[in-house]
Amino acid sequence: MSEQNETQVQPSLQATVPEIKDGAVIVEAPSTWRTIKREFLKDKVALVSAVILAVLFLTVIIWSFFIPKTAVTNVNIIDQYLAPGTQGHILGTDEQGRDQLLMLVASAKNSLLIAFMITVIGQVVGIIIGLITGYFRGVVDTVIMRIIDFWIVLPFIMIIIVLVSIVPKYNEWTLIWIIGLFAWQGTTRLIRSKVLSESDRDYVRASKTSGSSNFMIMFREILPNLASIIIVDSTLTFAGNIGIETTLSFLGFGLPNGTPSLGTMVSAATDPTVLATKAYVWLPPVIFIIVICVGISFVGQVFRRAADARQRLG
Amino acid sequence: MTVLMEIKDLKVHYPIRSGFWNRITDYVYAADGISFTIEAGKTYGLVGESGSGKSTIGKAIVGLEKITGGEIIYNGEDVSKPSVRNKMKYNKDVQMIFQDSLSSLNPKKTIYQIIAEPIRNFDKMDKESEKQRVIELLDIVGLSKNAMYQYPHQFSGGQRQRIGIARAIATNPKLIIADEPVSALDLSIQAQVLNFMKRIQKELGISFLFISHDLGVVRHMTENIAIMHLGRFVELGTREDIYNNPQHIYTKRLLSAIPQIDIANREANKAKRAQVEAEYQEKRSHFYDKDGLAYPMHQISDTHWVSTPPTQNSEGTGK
Repeated sequence: MSEQNETQVQPSLQATVPEIKDGAVIVEAPSTWRTIKREFLKDKVALVSAVILAVLFLTVIIWSFFIPKTAVTNVNIIDQYLAPGTQGHILGTDEQGRDQLLMLVASAKNSLLIAFMITVIGQVVGIIIGLITGYFRGVVDTVIMRIIDFWIVLPFIMIIIVLVSIVPKYNEWTLIWIIGLFAWQGTTRLIRSKVLSESDRDYVRASKTSGSSNFMIMFREILPNLASIIIVDSTLTFAGNIGIETTLSFLGFGLPNGTPSLGTMVSAATDPTVLATKAYVWLPPVIFIIVICVGISFVGQVFRRAADARQRLG
Repeated sequence: MTVLMEIKDLKVHYPIRSGFWNRITDYVYAADGISFTIEAGKTYGLVGESGSGKSTIGKAIVGLEKITGGEIIYNGEDVSKPSVRNKMKYNKDVQMIFQDSLSSLNPKKTIYQIIAEPIRNFDKMDKESEKQRVIELLDIVGLSKNAMYQYPHQFSGGQRQRIGIARAIATNPKLIIADEPVSALDLSIQAQVLNFMKRIQKELGISFLFISHDLGVVRHMTENIAIMHLGRFVELGTREDIYNNPQHIYTKRLLSAIPQIDIANREANKAKRAQVEAEYQEKRSHFYDKDGLAYPMHQISDTHWVSTPPTQNSEGTGK
């Protein structure tokens, strides 16, 4: 029986199989950029958000270079609470008589810069720690994750307020680092979970047998495969960080005096008469914050769908 | 022939944790007392059902699995410790081909980067000779040099597995562990990849440890075959020993499970399979100890070892 079997199997295995032409079988997978573009076209709300965000960001960044520092620090009580459109103040003036439009641009620039820097800190620290704990697992993972669990339980707004009050030389960079202390834990968890699944794939084993060091495997092999979730996570945490900074400034523990922020502008509404009768003083920054945050979250959803094939629309 | 590697009483046990304190309550004996030698330039097949521990042995040899006990002797040194392996550049000589060709190639890297990785780590070359070497390797596995700047997803399964082979032979290794290299490919591509591997093995004189559950593939590829069951070897011998003179009931059972297209004798084959199965069930308690594990192997001829119950030892060794 086995002889018969052999004569049947051997010739077919020995036969030379015609060579497959390289050009014939190449399948082009759609590039990431093309996927993102298609997702934007399928989601008109996100497309509009992206355009609005681009216009707002560019305006704020470029215009803020042309605003003299005096425009946001000078106090001119006579021009207090001018209605929009009077004396060339398009959005009116605030309690100190400063032009609301210039204030809005200068504040937005500060708030966006701070949110951006916090996001960068959170992402860099989160990615490094997430890679280490997800890749090495075991005791390293347990220890770091328990520390993070503890850190997440802490009421971070309270701690930031305390730190802001006790730090002696306080400027916007101090604020960035203090908020940054609490910005990396979520990212670490996200990156860790993805690294856990990535490091179990054969290409990591192949890298090990190819003699690559752990450091090289983590940052050269695994990290590029996390690009999509990093983009998604940084977009969405950026929106969240704008919220944190404005909240702190609203409470009076954010940016120091003399540095305008969207939060301090909104806090004008704590005065009952302003809140009730002078909506033009606090409404513009509020609308700005809402537009930015909602817009970023729409755009972030598009990135998320582009990164995860199961959620795609097109 | 010169002995390339000696594996002595290799043990890989995985702890099972349970209970409130998550303490170790038992072990999975993935590989339990495995001993064999690999000679230079020869091919070895490791066969067994799913979960019999054959992949574990392959990974332990290449250094991807932490071993619980035993020794792997290579060049006179025990290479079971990572520090020893790193010092002697062990993986320059011992490489692996993986089962899943897609997941074994980093999707974000070009073929050039993938194949150049072991070259960069083990053979310090300048840019130009590194590039020449990659082109040469692609040529060996029958891919054009245009493939260098493409990404893994742009290739078919068979082409990807050949890229995996190119990476494995990049540093001129002496031993390649092939962990079910074709079981994820369809039959026509299997033949193509297997013939490539066979040709490369002959041309470069590499030893192969071929791990598979497909007896037809193993028979085509290897000269020596080991049959594994539940973490232990039950039979070890040349291809002829195993296929023509199987001694262990489990080997017989595996061989009878090879599908045959032989319509004329269908009933006879069926009866034969039933008889082998009956023999297996009947002698099971005889060939396995009270825990259901195989006995240690004993030599019954120059090349043929089989796991026999203690009562048959005197017969077997006294031959």
